[in-house]
Amino acid sequence: MSTASEFNSIPHLSFESVEVKFSDVVFGLRKVFLRIEPGEFVFLTGPSGAGKSTMLKLITREVRPTQGRVVLNGREIGRIATRHIPGIRRQMGIVPQDFALLPRKRVYENIAYAMRAVGHSKREVRHRVPEILDRVHMGLRADAFPHELSGGEQQRVAIGRALVNDPPLLIADEPTGNLDPEHSWEIMELLKELNRNGTTVVVASHDMLVVNRMEERIVTLDQGLIVSDRKQSAPPAATAVALIEESDSGSVGAPPREEHAGVQ
Amino acid sequence: MFNRIEFVISEALKAFSRNRMMTVAAVTTVAVSLFLLGGLSYAYYRIDSYAKTIPGKFRMLVYLRDEATQKDVQQVASQIRSIPGVASVAWIPKDKAWLKWKADHPTALTEGIDNPLPEGFRVILSDLKKSDAVVASIKAIPMVAPENGVLYMRQEQNMVDGLLARLRLVGISVGGVLLAIAGILIYNAIRLTVLSRRVEIRIMQLVGASRPTVYVPFLIEGMLQGVIGAVIASGLVFGAYQGFETAISPIASLPQNQPAAFPYLPVLGFLAGAGALYGILCSTLAIRAPLKYR
Repeated sequence: MSTASEFNSIPHLSFESVEVKFSDVVFGLRKVFLRIEPGEFVFLTGPSGAGKSTMLKLITREVRPTQGRVVLNGREIGRIATRHIPGIRRQMGIVPQDFALLPRKRVYENIAYAMRAVGHSKREVRHRVPEILDRVHMGLRADAFPHELSGGEQQRVAIGRALVNDPPLLIADEPTGNLDPEHSWEIMELLKELNRNGTTVVVASHDMLVVNRMEERIVTLDQGLIVSDRKQSAPPAATAVALIEESDSGSVGAPPREEHAGVQ
Repeated sequence: MFNRIEFVISEALKAFSRNRMMTVAAVTTVAVSLFLLGGLSYAYYRIDSYAKTIPGKFRMLVYLRDEATQKDVQQVASQIRSIPGVASVAWIPKDKAWLKWKADHPTALTEGIDNPLPEGFRVILSDLKKSDAVVASIKAIPMVAPENGVLYMRQEQNMVDGLLARLRLVGISVGGVLLAIAGILIYNAIRLTVLSRRVEIRIMQLVGASRPTVYVPFLIEGMLQGVIGAVIASGLVFGAYQGFETAISPIASLPQNQPAAFPYLPVLGFLAGAGALYGILCSTLAIRAPLKYR
């Protein structure tokens, strides 16, 4: 892994010697360097408590770094005033783990509500919501209520809602955490599709089976440190089978310690 | 801009219709507390107005016998001036007093009858401690009328002062306590709304809705609770006023006792403004922590 100073182009997102301390003895992150280029697809993986969610919260400005800098499009996020957070949030789409859908509103209304909240007119809503639903392949379920949808479909709606600002950056926290393998793969395919259209995607996940199949950059964290940063190549068929068996035995999730490339 | 305003108002109205019981409790308490404060303020104003019409503690009126001559008037004036504790004495000629009375009470009762008023004096005291001695000295003057010759309303003034003080105390204590309870109820109603709308709030924060878009609906909700309570309170104050006026109408028939028309619009405006401000204040306190952008 390289530090930001080693590159000439402006990264989409960079972490520069970022440290997050929750108390004198509890660290969220320790001196993390990470550079994410525009249009990249990056997985943040690692066991629970490794620091994946803390990294996402630093990007969304839910957490401020104790030391170091988090820079989004050349702007240091940790230093911005609270009143500017909404503006930062409109530059990114955030997909929470629990979907956060409004149970009494239909799929269409869930997206429309988010658009209205950021100031779009009813005409813009009528024009854009069907387009967004088509992008997440939910155009045919626009009239359904969330409880009538599968977990995968609910996650698609949550992703669709994250697209209301047409953001260049999409952040997803454990988007497959509540889904079975089939729906997990569907969601990943959708995220990959969005990435192919130019959106930078950062996903926190401990679902190593899905992560390894995606052939994307994988940043592994452990105890607040980046222990690995690698580009996953397509696993051979035998490895995929082994991964599935490993997944069935419940041991998937530990980072591959022998591949500590780019450790800071 | 218009889109945001439309969205914010629709959110506020939706929030207002949720938590109906808590909203009703908050509105009712605001109404009762503002009714007490408004009603007591109006009663205070009326009693204070009455108090200004009766002679002050430093003033007394002295009336002479009907047969008093001009010479008697001069003599009695000199005698009163010489009493310790008297600051000044002013003569009230009976002719002028009668003309004023007829001008103030233009009724057929005063037509065609002779002036029944006696010669009088307005006496100003310099020392309240000597008021009893002054009254006794004046009563001892032979030309002063034996019946009601000295009109000194210190006791009445004291009673009115006491009444006003009690009204102030009741208004501040009971009204204040009720207002505090109303504030707590508005605070709780807004907190419950925040709780019931936490998913909406989270979504708004996730997609980057501006801070006013997130919190203004709650301020509008608190303001509406205050204003509705105030409108009910002004109706109650008006009703109480009508009831009071009906009850005292037999003794209020004399022209000098007729009050001015009830200032309904100013009372409504004042109470509604106070209710709105109070509602906004309480909801601001309620949303400060839970709506912090995170």
